[in-house]
Amino acid sequence: MSLQVDLKLRRGDFRLTVNGRLPERGVTILFGVSGAGKSSLLKAIAGLQPCQGLIRFGDQVWQDEGDSLPAHRRPVGLMLQKPTLFPHLDVAGNLRFAARRSGADTGRWREVVALTELQPLLTRGVAGLSGGEAQRVALARALLTEPDLLMLDEPLSALDAERRQALMAVIARVAERLPVLYVTHQLDEVMTLGDHLWWLDQGGLREQGELTERLAGLHGPLAAGGQAAVVLHTRHRHYDPQHHLLELALGERVLRLPADGPRGDTPRLKVAARDVSLTLSAARDSSVLNILPARVDSLRDLGHGQCLVRLECEGQWLLARLSTLSRDSLGLRPDSTVYAQIKAAALV
Amino acid sequence: MTVSPADWQALWVSVKLALISTTLLLMLCTPLAWWLARRRRRGQALLEALLALPLVLPPTVLGFYLLLWLGPNGPGGLVAGLWGAHSLAFTFTGLVLGSVLYSLPFVLQPLKNAFLAIDQDTLDMAATLGAPPWDRFRNVVLPLARPGYLSAAVLGFAHTLGEFGVVLMIGGSLSGQTRVASVALYEHVEVGDYAQAHQLALVLVLMSVVLLWGLFRWQRRPGTLT
Repeated sequence: MSLQVDLKLRRGDFRLTVNGRLPERGVTILFGVSGAGKSSLLKAIAGLQPCQGLIRFGDQVWQDEGDSLPAHRRPVGLMLQKPTLFPHLDVAGNLRFAARRSGADTGRWREVVALTELQPLLTRGVAGLSGGEAQRVALARALLTEPDLLMLDEPLSALDAERRQALMAVIARVAERLPVLYVTHQLDEVMTLGDHLWWLDQGGLREQGELTERLAGLHGPLAAGGQAAVVLHTRHRHYDPQHHLLELALGERVLRLPADGPRGDTPRLKVAARDVSLTLSAARDSSVLNILPARVDSLRDLGHGQCLVRLECEGQWLLARLSTLSRDSLGLRPDSTVYAQIKAAALV
Repeated sequence: MTVSPADWQALWVSVKLALISTTLLLMLCTPLAWWLARRRRRGQALLEALLALPLVLPPTVLGFYLLLWLGPNGPGGLVAGLWGAHSLAFTFTGLVLGSVLYSLPFVLQPLKNAFLAIDQDTLDMAATLGAPPWDRFRNVVLPLARPGYLSAAVLGFAHTLGEFGVVLMIGGSLSGQTRVASVALYEHVEVGDYAQAHQLALVLVLMSVVLLWGLFRWQRRPGTLT
């Protein structure tokens, strides 16, 4: 079911107006600088913060002009920025609090405990848990509410890289069945998990839509932060163990990437704008492995002698950051044909 | 040690009074403390000042007003009329009413502080996990406020046990009914019976020490939330 909100939120001087729709499944990244109102929005949707307007989930009305469904009756799994575990219960007690009230059975319990690797911690009190352990408990607890909508506020911020990878896979699997609204500042989480984007800026929902498309915009949220990057969707072709290179298909073209092994059938690549440079002819004497023909779509002057170029390549978008001097000497304008040299790309 | 039967009776009246008053106070103060801790309303400061008044008022002042209210010409007399009596003064019921008023701040404050210490996010989390309000109160608030309840019960009990001024005004020292230990002690001293006074005083001191010792021991127990 999809979530539809059209609400106004006020807290002191802070105002937030959000009119948006969440797709029926998949991870929607809620993006915004701190203080943009991300946590407040999650709380309002969960029914924990009074607001005005309309919140509808599928055919259920959670809030309209007159009525508001109380928080305990909304099928929401929420994880706040701080884990907020019950201090009077141990780890198992915290999970049971959720499972008893949602009716999650033993099978589901075992599955969630296994996914979050909590078995060895079950009898521990929550006071002695590390930040990362507490986050895993909070995530497991949110999953055990058997929610129809999952809302996570920086859920993996205290975890080490390995566990983060594992739990991102867990969240991605959950998102195959239900909508997940996900707050994060971590670029790798955005790129790996994100299917859609809600960008909160200046008291409103500035952009919403498909993530790949939004990120590749010249005025996208990452471009504003100077970290412009795009996601490329590729297909696995071949792994060359001798050179430790992974061959991926991007449309008709082939990309080669250093890797220690294959990475699934449809790996995603993160390509930062600063790692893409442009030439007018295909260099044959370059050490850069990935050189792709592309068409200039549009350009944006970033100030300080820098500009951002949006390129179309095999039906996907690339961003390149160049100096304005390079732009002028190459004579770049919309529809110019160029070769994009991708100096680095990361599997996400 | 030889405490006379009359003194044991007075001690029993004290303990009974303290038990009943404390139980009533815990029931009365739970909603009141919750309301004071969770809401900010106009006039709340005035209300809290009035509720804290027994802390600073001389007990005899409180006792004097209670005597007027509980007597035949006050509301207490009207209430007593319901079962054919004409006054609540000099009755055990009157003592309970007086004790409840007198010890109220000692129960209310610890409960209010315990409720204040509970993070709103914790309660919000319980709500999103599907717990309705009563469930949240029963399974989150009460367990987290347990140290507050213990302090409130011990302080309320001990303070009622030590009550003197109010009882002197509205009690009347009827043996077996309204003569409490503190008043019995006073009467021993008045007639110069220091031996009896010593024994009763010692029992009261021991009871108070044991109560407070138990409280502090429990509070310092490792793993308890205070």
